[in-house]
Amino acid sequence: MANDQTPKFSVSDFIAVVNQSLEYSLGTVEIEGEVASFKVNQGKWVFFDIKDATGSVNCFMSLFQLRVPVEDGMKVVVRAAPKITAWGKFSLTIQSIRPSGEGSLKKSFELLKAKLDKEGLFSPERKRSLPEIPEHIAVISSTSAAGYADFVKILNDRWGGLKVDAAHVQVQGDSAPEQMIRAISYFNQQETLPEVLVIIRGGGSTDDLAAFNDEPLVRAIAASRIPTIVGVGHEVDVSLADMVADVRAATPSNAAQIVVPDRKELTNLLGQLVRRILVRTEGVVDGYLKDTKVTLRQGLTMLDTRVDLLQSQLVTSRQVMGAYNPRAVLSRGYAIIRGEVATGGIIRIEQQERIITAEVKDVEAI
Amino acid sequence: MLKQSEQKTVSEKMNELSELVAWFEGDEFELEQALETYGKAEKLAAEIEHDLTNLKNEVTVLKEKFDA
Repeated sequence: MANDQTPKFSVSDFIAVVNQSLEYSLGTVEIEGEVASFKVNQGKWVFFDIKDATGSVNCFMSLFQLRVPVEDGMKVVVRAAPKITAWGKFSLTIQSIRPSGEGSLKKSFELLKAKLDKEGLFSPERKRSLPEIPEHIAVISSTSAAGYADFVKILNDRWGGLKVDAAHVQVQGDSAPEQMIRAISYFNQQETLPEVLVIIRGGGSTDDLAAFNDEPLVRAIAASRIPTIVGVGHEVDVSLADMVADVRAATPSNAAQIVVPDRKELTNLLGQLVRRILVRTEGVVDGYLKDTKVTLRQGLTMLDTRVDLLQSQLVTSRQVMGAYNPRAVLSRGYAIIRGEVATGGIIRIEQQERIITAEVKDVEAI
Repeated sequence: MLKQSEQKTVSEKMNELSELVAWFEGDEFELEQALETYGKAEKLAAEIEHDLTNLKNEVTVLKEKFDA
C-alpha cells in the first residue's frame, strides 16, 4: 500500500522537479571525457556523447555555440547543465566545449587552421600594412597583466604623443574570446577609427592561450576594419589569431616595437636628412664653382688664341708695311726724284744716304 | 586654414621635412632658394627632435565593460 507521504507527480511535473533538483544541486558542471558519435543535425544542432572507460552521457548544443572543431575521439572539457528532456532522456545541455590535453588541442587547432586556410583567411594578399607613425591606437588586453605593462613600457620608451585607448578584457578562459570580440566590435564602431588595433597577451600554457584559437574571435580579427597586430605568448607560441592578423608580433613587447618607431632612431634619421641637404647644397655649389672655372679657363684659352691671331696679323701687317717703306726701297739702290722733270728743270734726287740736286738736260719718252 | 607648425603632428612634420629634402634632391632645386629652404628644414628637424623628446603618450583604459 502506498505511503501517503510519497510524492506524486504528473510526468511533466516530475521532469520539472527533477530538472529543478539538478539545477539546485549541480547547476553548471564541467565534465572531462572523450567525444563519441558526434553529429550535426539540420546545420543547427550538435549531438554527441561524452564518455570514459565505463560511462557515457548524451550531450546537446546549438551549432553557434561550438567555437572549436570537434570530432570523435577528441578529449574535451564541456561546461554544461544536466537536464532531463521532455521525453525523459538524460542529457547535458552544453554551454561551451574546449579541447583538453595536448593532443586534442593540437588536433582542434589543425582542423580549424585547415578550414580557415581553405577560406583564404591567412592569405598574404589580405594583409594590410600598419601606418609608419600612428597617432591613435587601440589595445585589447588584460590591463592588469604583465604583458600589457610590458607593451606600455616599451611604447613609452620608444615614442610619444600617441593616443592609446585600452580595452580591459579577459585573455584566458571561456569568456575571453567573447569579450575580445566585443572589444573589437566596439573599436570598429567608433566614429573615428583608431589606426591600429593591438591584441596582446603575455605567455602561458597551451590551455591558457587556447582563447586565441577560438573560431569566432579569429573571424572577428579577420573582419576588423582597423588593421590588426596580434602578439600572444612567447616567440614560439603560434595562435590562429596571430595567423589571421595583418601583422604578427612575437610578444607584447615586440608588438610595441612594431607599432611605433624608436624616437632615438628617428632623431638619428633627422640628422642624416639635414646632412643630406648639406651634401646636396655643397655638391651644387661645387658644381657651380667647377663650371665657373671651366668657363673661365675656356675664356682665357679663347683670349690667348685671339691674342696669338692678332699678333700674327700684326707681324704680317708689319711685313707688308715694311715692304711699302720708301726707305727700304732706297736701301735697295733706288732713288726718289722730286722737282720739274723738263729740260732745264732742277730736280732733287734722294738716295739712301744722300740728296743730289741736278739740272735736267733732256727728257725723252721710252 | 593652414595648420600652425606647433599644431602639426610629428608625422605631418616628418612628411614636410621629407618634401623639403626631396626638393633639395630634385630638379627644381635653385641655389638662390636653398638657403631659405635649408633654414626651414633645420628648424623643422629641431622641432621634431623637441617633440620626440618631450611628447608623452596618453594612455586611457576605457570604462566600457566587455564582459556581457
